[in-house]
Amino acid sequence: MTVPLIFLTFFGAAALWFAIVVFRTHSMVRSALALLFSQTAVGAMFLVMQAEFLGVLQIMMMATEMSVMAIFMVMFMMDPGGLGEMEMTHQKKRSLWAGGIGFAAALALAWAGNWGPEATVIPQAARQTELLGIELLGRSMFIFESAGLTILTAMIAATMVAIAPEKAKQPKTVPQKTAPQHKGHSHDH
Amino acid sequence: MIIELSVALSFAAGLFGVGLYGALSQTNLVMIMMGVELMLAAALINLVAFWRYLHPDAMSGQMFVLIVMTVMAVEMAVGFGVAIARFRVRGSVEMEEARELKG
Repeated sequence: MTVPLIFLTFFGAAALWFAIVVFRTHSMVRSALALLFSQTAVGAMFLVMQAEFLGVLQIMMMATEMSVMAIFMVMFMMDPGGLGEMEMTHQKKRSLWAGGIGFAAALALAWAGNWGPEATVIPQAARQTELLGIELLGRSMFIFESAGLTILTAMIAATMVAIAPEKAKQPKTVPQKTAPQHKGHSHDH
Repeated sequence: MIIELSVALSFAAGLFGVGLYGALSQTNLVMIMMGVELMLAAALINLVAFWRYLHPDAMSGQMFVLIVMTVMAVEMAVGFGVAIARFRVRGSVEMEEARELKG
């Protein structure tokens, strides 16, 4: 058993364990933290697989994303600490079957597939980043720019959806200011 | 057989199964999004493993990872936008109560 295989197995098991914890704990904050640890372990798997840039990117991005998620969890949930142990699942049996079948199918494919010979020469980290930059600003530029445009659109759309509608404010302010003035003018004339 | 590749794909299969279970079984919108995040993380592992063990010279594999990461960020942004709108109107993000579009 080689050293990379040991680390790959360790971080893979950690990612899987924390993923299971996400749906087993009643505390929403613990769920968000477990997802953070799971995604960090995925980032560590990238590092083991010598994709340094993507590994660091994954860890940094998920640390931020899961912190935001934990805040939203506390805001939205009636019982973020999970002290009430309320049930928040439905169709549990069918979901277990679906997840199990998905897992078994993917596992069978992973071990039964003939993937060809293993590549032995891996570019160094700096060279990888350089090649990725050339790829992004060369052949894949249109896809890269489309991704940028998509994320900008999503940001604007999410903000527009989240902003409180203006109609809710108007009925309270309009009658108070305009109605008395209108009455006063009609008496003068 | 490339053992490292199969091991990485196996853990990705596990993450996908757990994520699928979570996305289907949870009633809370934020928890459903967590399940989707796990499935996308499984896709990321697959992409990086295929790049590393089969085609390390083709950087389009890493580029695809960046696109999937973008999809993850977009999913979170839009999901939380919908969650805020829903919470403002109904005071809850429980999807059991969201049956308006069912007809």
